Amino acid sequence: MLRPFTLHRPETAEEACALLARLGEDAVPYAGGTELLLLMKLGLLRPPHLVDVKRIRELNELADGGRLTIGATVTHRSLERSPLVRARCPLVASVARHVANVRVRNVGTIGGNLAFADPHSDLATLFLALDAHVELVSPGGRRELSLGDFVRGPWETARRPDELLAGVRLAPWPSRAAAYVKFGVHERPTLGIAVALGLNGGDGRAGARIQDARIAVGCVGPRPARMFTAEARLRGVSVDRVDDVVGAVGDSAAAGVDPADDLHGSADYKREMVAVFVRRALRVAAARAGGVEPATSFPYAVVA
Amino acid sequence: MDGARSPETIHLVVNGRACDLEVAPHALLLDVLRDVLDLKGAKRSCDTQVCGACTVLIDGMAVSACTYLAVEADGRAVLTVEGLAEGETLHPLQRAFLDAGAVQCGFCTSGMLLTARAMLAETTAPSRQEVLHYLRGSLCRCTGYRKIVEAIMAVAETAR
Amino acid sequence: MSQQPFRAVGRPIPRIDGLEKVTGRARYVTDLVIPGMAHAKVLRSPYAHSRVRKVDVTRARAHPGVLAALCGADLTWCEPYYGPAYRDRPVLAIDVARYEGEPVAAVAAVDEATADEALDLIEVDYDPLPPVMTLEEALSPGAPRVHTGKPQAGHFADLASLRPVPGTNVCHQFHFARGDSGRALASADLVLDETYRFPPVQHVALEAHAAVAVWSETDGLTVWASTQNPYSVRVELAKMFGVPLARIRVVVPHLGGGFGSKTYAKLEPLAAALARVAGRPVRLAASVAEAFQTVRRCCARVHVRVGFRRDGGLVAVECGADYDVGAYADIGPRVVQKATYTATGPYRVPDVTLDARAVYTNTTPGGAFRGFGVPQLAWALESLFDVAAERLGRDPVELRRQNFLAHGEEFAPGDTPIDGKLEESLGRAAETIGWTQTGAADRGRGVAAMLKASVAPSVSEAIVRLHTDGSVTVLASAVEMGQGTRTVLAQIAAEVLSVPMARVIVVQPDTAVTPYDQTTSSSRSTAMTGRAVQVAAEDVREQLLHVTAAELGVAVTDLALDDGSVVTPGRRLTYAEVLMLRFGMSGGEIIGRGVVAPGRTAAPLGGSTPFWEVAVGAAEVSVDEETGALRVERYVSVADVGRAINPLLLEGQDEGGVVQGLGHTLFEEMLYQDGHLLNGTLLAYRVPRADDAPPALECRFVENADGSGPFGAKGAGEGSLIPVSPAVANALARLTGVRLRDLPLTPERVWRALRARGRR
Repeated sequence: MLRPFTLHRPETAEEACALLARLGEDAVPYAGGTELLLLMKLGLLRPPHLVDVKRIRELNELADGGRLTIGATVTHRSLERSPLVRARCPLVASVARHVANVRVRNVGTIGGNLAFADPHSDLATLFLALDAHVELVSPGGRRELSLGDFVRGPWETARRPDELLAGVRLAPWPSRAAAYVKFGVHERPTLGIAVALGLNGGDGRAGARIQDARIAVGCVGPRPARMFTAEARLRGVSVDRVDDVVGAVGDSAAAGVDPADDLHGSADYKREMVAVFVRRALRVAAARAGGVEPATSFPYAVVA
Repeated sequence: MDGARSPETIHLVVNGRACDLEVAPHALLLDVLRDVLDLKGAKRSCDTQVCGACTVLIDGMAVSACTYLAVEADGRAVLTVEGLAEGETLHPLQRAFLDAGAVQCGFCTSGMLLTARAMLAETTAPSRQEVLHYLRGSLCRCTGYRKIVEAIMAVAETAR
Repeated sequence: MSQQPFRAVGRPIPRIDGLEKVTGRARYVTDLVIPGMAHAKVLRSPYAHSRVRKVDVTRARAHPGVLAALCGADLTWCEPYYGPAYRDRPVLAIDVARYEGEPVAAVAAVDEATADEALDLIEVDYDPLPPVMTLEEALSPGAPRVHTGKPQAGHFADLASLRPVPGTNVCHQFHFARGDSGRALASADLVLDETYRFPPVQHVALEAHAAVAVWSETDGLTVWASTQNPYSVRVELAKMFGVPLARIRVVVPHLGGGFGSKTYAKLEPLAAALARVAGRPVRLAASVAEAFQTVRRCCARVHVRVGFRRDGGLVAVECGADYDVGAYADIGPRVVQKATYTATGPYRVPDVTLDARAVYTNTTPGGAFRGFGVPQLAWALESLFDVAAERLGRDPVELRRQNFLAHGEEFAPGDTPIDGKLEESLGRAAETIGWTQTGAADRGRGVAAMLKASVAPSVSEAIVRLHTDGSVTVLASAVEMGQGTRTVLAQIAAEVLSVPMARVIVVQPDTAVTPYDQTTSSSRSTAMTGRAVQVAAEDVREQLLHVTAAELGVAVTDLALDDGSVVTPGRRLTYAEVLMLRFGMSGGEIIGRGVVAPGRTAAPLGGSTPFWEVAVGAAEVSVDEETGALRVERYVSVADVGRAINPLLLEGQDEGGVVQGLGHTLFEEMLYQDGHLLNGTLLAYRVPRADDAPPALECRFVENADGSGPFGAKGAGEGSLIPVSPAVANALARLTGVRLRDLPLTPERVWRALRARGRR
């Protein structure tokens, strides 16, 4: 049951920002509503004004202009099925395919997902690993923030009340040398591990070395986090020798997280699972680097 | 630039029939379908988009009507379970669900059928794995799912 | 078994209400629209335990559109307490609110939105009290008391001897013994002494509880209710409102799942109270989150000591089971004693001491849930059987086989002898899963068995009406909640009267129309209501034969029913023709009556079970040793059903039972912290999804036509669920050497056990 609210449907970002500026805390941007309407039905949020941003054309863009631009109102489903995304950032499409369920993906948007900053967001973790930036628009202009700077904590972002999340930009990552693995019994994942390997000698060549490794861990902390120490251990390692270092890399990642006891499990268990799934994600990414899609399946886990 | 709080008229096609409706911005599609149009096939259950009992198709795409504003359906085609059969001729999925014993209490059935229909429109020959993936948000507490998956696979096989 | 010339019975006939369900036309309580209907909302306590100093509903009452606003103090005009065991549950909290989510006030208004707004206008002055959230807390000396008043008994004869422990939170204790278990254990070669835990879980029927109530001067109170036992609801309402039973009508439309959650009065009393005050029909529909605040399975701590001889003979069982029944007893005391009575499972045990306690805590009331207390005990006993097998160096299948009660053997003096062939069920399960064949190294297999009594004494009545065109109406009050009882009852009537299924209709339960039936639970409908329908149809048949015999001048024994006609060599009269002879015109009907009422017996619980539900489960599991995540790769369930009246529906019901059982085995658990339920919605409470069902799931039946039900049928439907937990845990133990005693077997729990094993 929703309480009455006023629905605004601006056609431009400027209009939307003006509304947000004018209405202040009384207004909330609204797109798919999969998170927002849920909180409103539970009575946890009762905004008098909703600013529907879906009519703002630029927010719905999915474009390739050097960097890939994913507009804030692009749905998970569009991302999942977009030939552009599949070609330029296949892992993004693959992760999108496993978000929640098909109904949520059909309606829920990338912008909504990121702006809510639910610590169990798959895409936030993935985007962090892919060095994505978000673009924010306000009456004062536009600014870009790295995903790490944007997501500040659970349900907390750097978006100012008069700002609108316009979208995400990321450098294409056509490499198959990447993986996202999530694990958990509950509706939302207990942990998510994103691994992206930059290789010298190009993609898919056996014997290539890891030039640039990125590991992000999500769900176990207040916000997704890069594991820089763990990443450093991978630099220069040959992809066919990844197995030699996965143990140390996993342990290093586990040492880099600070989980809390909650419904998803005890802190020590989650820490150990970070080690386990970092190892697994790395093995999958390394196999993919060698042009092999491993037939991997783990109970209660999704390998994207 | 002022928004709407009072009811507005939306134009939509429900189960192939065009209709104009006055709805408030905060009206949920599920309530409009059930209370205004008397289409009770979609059920309110978990109310959190987890269970799928309220599934309807908007332009062929499955959504949770419990968490979807009715005004969003403006200009679109809504399919509910009541529109699945063509007259007295059941949709193959309906037939398959009956024959396979995939229906028990029936509360999840309309959502299951519509979800399956959306899937088969996208993927004519889904694998068992794909069916399970697509049903991730469709809960049934009675059947143990085996017969539901069997019914969907049977229709997919026929379409192959 | 031999092929019987049955036309309807034994056939996999699609359910007769299926068409309505696949077309979305089936109407459930929440789909009903009664002219003038108001909508109700409930204000619930945010505290686990609190004194309710004052509830002020004046502002809510004055809110435009509000038709009734009530709090506990307003209910002076009716008996505000209800409950089947104890009348301990107020419709709305009176003085004390005993669990988080307890209804404290309620509003009925012209629409849901208005009712929802009005809830904000209610002021409640709570004074939080220390709660007891667990068995340990509730049983500790000097623990805060959940209830302090004098208990009032409910409406069950076999609970007339309720035995609370004064001054404690124990609302009922049960004791059963034979022989001298202490001495037997002292002389046993192997004694195992272990404690097992079973979590609180919720039914998660997709349709939450709902009721629409309306009062009329002429008809009294009518309630459309999502209930599994309209007649129990009727009794409660009659007592509360001081109205004769005949003036209360409980109607049950399609039911969106029950699993025990909809037994006994739940929302109906509140809906009726609001309707009385509002002077209008009132609809009260709970959300799934509110269902978590209405009823759950009684969680349990089960301490068992078993003694075996070196040769594998089971010599003694001592069981001390504590069940947490939550803040109100509901049917908890009966769950406790009924289940504990069969704590020894399907085994021959000479010396037995069984004790159980039903314990109040400040949590959601615990009630009936598929298995009725038996899953909690079978979890312990069936796990222990495997522990014993390992210690004795015996095969778990063989050890069970050695100790099984035989067909026809006494379970307890005065009770029904065992009517199933356990060794046949076990043999089928073992054979199907390939028990004696070497499996993959990364798979483990486990078995478990179970035995459960049905409710006794119990009563089912039925009326069968044969119309002038040969069509048939069956009046019975077994509730169709997905299990298929309407179809099965139609099959039975069609069989006896030799008419096509399409000519039989089974009326939905309506206490003003359909005759008495005790309850749709306890796996009893096919056996008990089905038998009543069979008797009623046979009554019709006898009348048809007598009319025809008199008309044709032949002996009744020379006549038979065949495809809508009474036949004798050379003559065939359609039912229409027979009725014409009977009434002399095209009108009238033949009415048959069936009553099944075995009554009280000398059996320990006062009634002999009408049948024993017997089943065996076999699981094959794999485990991800690094994460502790279990996967049930294959599951075989074998139930001894006497006869499968409808194998298709029965198979579906048992498949559902297995997967429901996997829920509490693998991940389901209501988790409380600081007095609050952490996971009371489906966002946080996980139930099995399609991808959780075992890739191979086979449900089989043993059919020896040896049941007391129609055509030799016995009850079924709960049996498949009960062995799941121990079968899976036994498989895990055989695979990894790890024995877990607490459910659910979450990845973390399994992981910890694996790590502990590694450190040994």
